[in-house]
Amino acid sequence: MTFRARASLLSLSLLALATVAMPAPAQTTKSGPTFHVPEQHYKLANGLKVVLSPDATVPTAVVAVYYNIGFRNEPRDRTGFAHLFEHLMFQGSKNLGKLQFVRLVEENGGILNGSTRFDFTNYFQVVPSNAVRRILWAEADRMKGLAIDTSNVNNQRDVVKNEVRVNVINQPYGGFPWIDLPIHANTNWYNAHNFYGDMGDLDKANLADATSFFHTYYAPNNAVLVVTGDIDIAATKQWIEEYFSKIPAATLPPKPDLTEPKQTEEKRFTRIDSLATRPAIGLAYHVPERFTPEWYAFGLLDQILAQGRDSRFYQELVQKRGLTGGVDAGINFGLGNQFDYQGPMLWEIQAFHDADKKGDDLLAGFDAAIEPLRTTPVDQATLDRALVKMRSSLYAEMEQFAGFGRANLLASFALFDNDPDRINQLERGFAQVTPAILLHTAQEYLRPTNRTVEFIVPAAKPDSSR
Amino acid sequence: MTQRSFPRTVACLFALAMLAAPILEAQSPARELPPPLGKPKPFLLPPKRELTLPNGIKVTLVRFGTVPKVSIYCDVRTGHIDEKSNEVALSDVTGEMMREGTTTRSATQIEQQVGGMGGSLSINVGDDDASIGGTVLSEHGPEMVRLVADVVRNPLLPDSELARVVANEARDVAISRSQPQSIAREQFLKTLYGDHPYGRVFPTDAMLKSYTIAQVKDFYARNFGAARSHVYVVGVFDEAQMEKAVRDAFTGWPAGHAPTSKPPTPHMGRSVTLLDRPAAVQSTIMLGLPVPNPASRDYTALEVTDAMLGGTFGSRITTNIRENKGYTYSPFSFIGTHYHDAYWVQQADVTTKFTGASLKEIFGEIDRLQKEAPGTPELDGIKNNMIGLFTLRNGSRGGIVNQLENADLQGLGADYLSGYVKRVLAVTPADVQRTTATYLKPDQMTLVVVGDKATVADQLAPYEQPVP
Repeated sequence: MTFRARASLLSLSLLALATVAMPAPAQTTKSGPTFHVPEQHYKLANGLKVVLSPDATVPTAVVAVYYNIGFRNEPRDRTGFAHLFEHLMFQGSKNLGKLQFVRLVEENGGILNGSTRFDFTNYFQVVPSNAVRRILWAEADRMKGLAIDTSNVNNQRDVVKNEVRVNVINQPYGGFPWIDLPIHANTNWYNAHNFYGDMGDLDKANLADATSFFHTYYAPNNAVLVVTGDIDIAATKQWIEEYFSKIPAATLPPKPDLTEPKQTEEKRFTRIDSLATRPAIGLAYHVPERFTPEWYAFGLLDQILAQGRDSRFYQELVQKRGLTGGVDAGINFGLGNQFDYQGPMLWEIQAFHDADKKGDDLLAGFDAAIEPLRTTPVDQATLDRALVKMRSSLYAEMEQFAGFGRANLLASFALFDNDPDRINQLERGFAQVTPAILLHTAQEYLRPTNRTVEFIVPAAKPDSSR
Repeated sequence: MTQRSFPRTVACLFALAMLAAPILEAQSPARELPPPLGKPKPFLLPPKRELTLPNGIKVTLVRFGTVPKVSIYCDVRTGHIDEKSNEVALSDVTGEMMREGTTTRSATQIEQQVGGMGGSLSINVGDDDASIGGTVLSEHGPEMVRLVADVVRNPLLPDSELARVVANEARDVAISRSQPQSIAREQFLKTLYGDHPYGRVFPTDAMLKSYTIAQVKDFYARNFGAARSHVYVVGVFDEAQMEKAVRDAFTGWPAGHAPTSKPPTPHMGRSVTLLDRPAAVQSTIMLGLPVPNPASRDYTALEVTDAMLGGTFGSRITTNIRENKGYTYSPFSFIGTHYHDAYWVQQADVTTKFTGASLKEIFGEIDRLQKEAPGTPELDGIKNNMIGLFTLRNGSRGGIVNQLENADLQGLGADYLSGYVKRVLAVTPADVQRTTATYLKPDQMTLVVVGDKATVADQLAPYEQPVP
């Protein structure tokens, strides 16, 4: 009966599918088995980036389209619009009416979803490999244009409002900490607004907004198409050419300035939760820029401090001090991972506790775990275990959800870095981290003045259900 | 010692699965039809090797995939089923206590060792079985086998940690009971199963705090043993080395007592319960009833019926109350299973003012499927989806472990998984109609609503019937 925070998804739906995964080839080197993901990538004349990554272990394939528009840079008076628009992409295109895209995937033995994240909106299908051509055709159909009307917008606005209700408004700890912390920790509006959307803004959204949003952002030169799994490379390339190459490119708007100034003072805030019965604490630290040595080091600090029950947070707060039953944390927490974003990002931590302990007691526990890393270099055994855990979690990430996790990494590195092969360079990057880099990264980024602290004060009557 | 091998590979052909062209009939002629499917490829269930050690513990080894990882789980036939009515969650507390150290390893040593293998140790206690294990990098497979065996066989169960473990459990329960979905689930199962362990979802605080270390040790002694356990090893590993590690680690564990047999007699009959959550903006609905279990002949037809009614995105109920009406975001139905027992339930969190309207549509869809057999294209689409999902479920280490655990728990036999596709394909439109009419009778259903009583009570009036 372990309590887990409700999955914080801005999604088309919750998919009820048990852990599914798909392996990729392994190679053995003298340092032990390592993992190499084969990939090839190219660009169509209209700017659409394509990544192909074959693996015939299971006769299934992943088709994923990522558009370089996330909830960060949606219109200022239309909070939640990027996510609402994601829903509209399932409401009909020229050759597929409402629900027909969904049925096409399901009736061919597949699963599908879409999700909206900081810097992208994605659409993906996992299907039997003989259906790849059909799915490519369908994805191209909706990249060409939507065929929706006001009733579709109204219907999906109602669905999205119910999504916000079930995940936030009618839920204890709703939006904790994943909506709350970015709003308080960041100062730039792009990073600091309510990504799920204010109900008033959702009410204002209309068909004209949708049309304009589509034409601004949903262009081939603002997207990447990834196909992984049991695929025939030559045939897949031919189908992609056939279905996608004639979609015209668009003139993209300038990128907004996402810069976040350096934080120099600790921030604290309290939220009274009328549905919650136990207090909770959330923390957010700004993390180093992607692919810097400090960013790799921060990934290992996360392993050392927060991941697994051997972690220092668990040992200090759970095992030794008995303050909580568990600590959950991560970079891009609840919405992604260390790799699938582009811009300022937070490392978020959450823990639930009892009323006889104060939030400050937990904060003292976190500090007791963190501070030694800011004063003394770690020993080799600690670094080695962090590296093993990181390698294992990378494999887990890639295997996640029937191989979708691998497509997600390839798409992110193609979209943000023009280099999907970075998936094969991660292990090396982490292996280059030294105790000295870890020390100075902890000193700079685990400063108390670099953090924001949220306290949840429960206001429900204790165990009000009875 | 008995040893059985299953060298044969089981083919489940998509060629059989793909029954019909996709459904895009009644389109305007201007529309372009989707391109054809490619030639279907066979999906081969990976072969398994099974053995039984002299103390009765069963072992299943499945070599699968190429990612250098291996999953190792010891599944023990114990769980909530073994709790008395004043022992709710004692099995969960026992499971948590098992990670607080063994006779040779401290709690911290266990976690550091498993972390160093690139894994984590999970101990999950369910209604009928408890699963202890994890996934590690392949080079550490035999070491993980030894660690899992140590935790399962030699737990210290230290009194010094009990109060903390109980406090954590009490907090988890309190938080769960503030979530409308958990509140609904507790009431739904209580109505169905009464004081049977399947109907006792949460302990009281007083009950939890009463547990002594003697009770925990007694629960462990009564319910853990080799003859009621099954070790699963799935992933990339050296077979001879792994078999030796399993034999060395588990030989000599006493057989233990036989598993508990305690079949439930679930409630059939209309029951309506409204739990007040003042000012709630949504109502959480659970509507369902007992149905045939996975060992029953009608179970496959029931799975197909569930997928068509509410179990898939394109299902009838989801299409109706989400895509047409916008009453809800994530409605879904599923079949919950216990050992030789099952229930079907439709769940949805709906806008408060549309609580009655949502129920009308859900009952309406059940009624429609009782009166009218589905068209063949719709049914073929559902069957294709189920066969595709079967491949996905069996296409990962974790999925394979889950599938095997379930088939073994239910005693479904060696052909259960290999015969799945064939059984799904055999379901006819008339079967679906008959299954709905026979097993999903609205007047036999339990309805639980968690919501704002002031707004919702009147909306439920049409569904109130005296409990027979």
